[in-house]
Amino acid sequence: MSKLSITRRQALKSAGAAAIAASSVAKPAIAAKEPILIGYLPALTGPSSSTGVGMTRGAQLAVDELNKAGGVDGRMIELIVRDTQSDPTKAVNATAELTRSAKVDVIFGPLNSGESLAVVPILARSNTLQIHPCWVDSLTDPKKYPLCYRNAPTNQQIGRASNRYVVEVLKKKKIAIISDTTGYGTSSLNAYVPMVKQMGGEVVYQASVDAANPDLKPEILRMQAAGAEAIMPWSVNAGFLSRIINTRGQMVWDVPICGQTTLGSGQTQQLLEKPEYWAKVYPNNFRPVCYDSTGKLPERARVFVDRLHTLKIDMGDTLLWWIGVGYDTLYMIAEAAKAVGTDTKAMEGYYNKMKKFAGVYGDISFTPENHDGYPDDEVVMVEANSLKDGAFNLAPGYGV
Amino acid sequence: MVLSIVLSGLAIGCVYALIGIAYNVMYSASRVFSFTAGTLGMIGGVLGSLFILRMGLPVWAGFILALVGGALLGVVTEIVAVRPVLKSLDQHLYVLSTLALALIVQQFTAIEWSTDAQPFPRIFNIERNSFDQQYWLPMIACVVVIVGLELLYRRTLVGHAFRAIAEDNYAARALGLPERNLRMASYALAGVIGALAGFASGQMLLAFFANAPLLTFYGFVPVALGGMGNNRGAVVAGLVLGLFQQAANFLVGGIFASVAVFTVFILVLLARPDGLAGASAGRRV
Repeated sequence: MSKLSITRRQALKSAGAAAIAASSVAKPAIAAKEPILIGYLPALTGPSSSTGVGMTRGAQLAVDELNKAGGVDGRMIELIVRDTQSDPTKAVNATAELTRSAKVDVIFGPLNSGESLAVVPILARSNTLQIHPCWVDSLTDPKKYPLCYRNAPTNQQIGRASNRYVVEVLKKKKIAIISDTTGYGTSSLNAYVPMVKQMGGEVVYQASVDAANPDLKPEILRMQAAGAEAIMPWSVNAGFLSRIINTRGQMVWDVPICGQTTLGSGQTQQLLEKPEYWAKVYPNNFRPVCYDSTGKLPERARVFVDRLHTLKIDMGDTLLWWIGVGYDTLYMIAEAAKAVGTDTKAMEGYYNKMKKFAGVYGDISFTPENHDGYPDDEVVMVEANSLKDGAFNLAPGYGV
Repeated sequence: MVLSIVLSGLAIGCVYALIGIAYNVMYSASRVFSFTAGTLGMIGGVLGSLFILRMGLPVWAGFILALVGGALLGVVTEIVAVRPVLKSLDQHLYVLSTLALALIVQQFTAIEWSTDAQPFPRIFNIERNSFDQQYWLPMIACVVVIVGLELLYRRTLVGHAFRAIAEDNYAARALGLPERNLRMASYALAGVIGALAGFASGQMLLAFFANAPLLTFYGFVPVALGGMGNNRGAVVAGLVLGLFQQAANFLVGGIFASVAVFTVFILVLLARPDGLAGASAGRRV
């Protein structure tokens, strides 16, 4: 017993020696094996969680694959997940924790625009590199938010694709635009009304409606009375979108409904009163994850879907592009970390020159002046009622 | 268009009225405004969908089990959120305790059930038409509850005991009435009424966890307008609210409809602080 006892001075000496040894010799070796900390801010619960649930399947798959392959130069990927519960306040709190306590290298998310509107300025102030897939235009700005990158389309790109399809392909000129009252809904409405007019369309009806409203017949009747030839709803709320589709069906009103991707989600489908109501519904989607006219997915997506099938990852209740974004983002971070490490400045420099990162969801490119990485021509419209394995057929008019 | 306003307005008005009655039944027994009333409605819809669509039970079994679930939640509300704060009613702690329980149930439902609206089954296998079952089911439920409560309160001994507690619970206790058991029974009854509202309106509102705050909010309006504890006032005010809301939806539409509803609500309360059918209670000083 007495042989084992040590004095306080001896203990301090030993601790000091250990600290010196650790700092001078062991540190580089340990640093090289330090995990890459990725803060992840999905909404896994709450009304905007469908996106987060889908993207998390992809993100987790990528983490598993990367770590199974030995990580990035021996550094394991550690995904620190904080459920924002679809609430911007909780997203802000989680952001503070991830940047100040967990001291993450990069943040992926938030995945909803409403939360990102609150989080992006905070991350800019804390000099944390951020990648998000949110569509609201103002969510990237290389001058105000130099470390913020978007690997998804902007609302402008989404709107251009939808409006072009309605006005130029379907040749419908009188358009009704409706949104819910969320940040995403109202900002989309404000962005798309002038865009439709610019393309030569006429907005005969526009409204923002509480998504909880159980009866949308008054809105649809007003659209009909205004002579609308197409309805463009902007919301991620499956209940709201299904009520629009059901009401159109009940009124036996044969106008196309074109717009937000959630129009084609499994959640929307299961709320339809009749399967045939889903005809002539054209949601946004993305060419790299769509079936062409021969019923085939592009090669990259086909291989990915095969892998999802093998791993028994459920696609029936989500969308392929959601899984794809989650998967691609983790690989995008891993690629940058492999090339330049996880120093924020170095990663910023890497992303500012990134050309055509080959993801399942699309080829992402950034420049110092443009942090919106998704290509215009890959935003397309699809047939909602063709959903299979989370992917759709291209809408009529796109060819192969 | 008028037919649409009337049908959907009356249907949603009946749902608000039923939630208002659930508020009142709980209030009468305890002098507590339990903000779990909307949650009871939400649970009725979710349990109905769970038992019938997910578990494949027959409609009648799903219906009964949904009502039992509502009754259980009512009893839990009384035990967990009401009984502990009854001694300090003047501090209005029940606002916090009942809201907290409502939030817990709502979040639990979101996590365990779904965060997206889920389908609710068709109760009767009949073709859809303009006067669809999604409109007349809440109306029938409302009539059944009104008649049932009238019979219960006026024709049964238990009903008389409920009324005695509501009138003066000290005197009722002095007469030997089991106040605590009657209060629990009242909360169970409120749970059944709330769950019935949710079940009957399931096709209209869907099985959605976020219906809880919606019903809590809109269900409170008939109570405030109709006079606290006044079931007839709640029914009339609920129907008026539903019709006015739908008329506003048709006439002004969009978010302005909600603004119109609450503008009228505030104006009415400014003119009649005790509600349209309420009267200021005499206060001994």
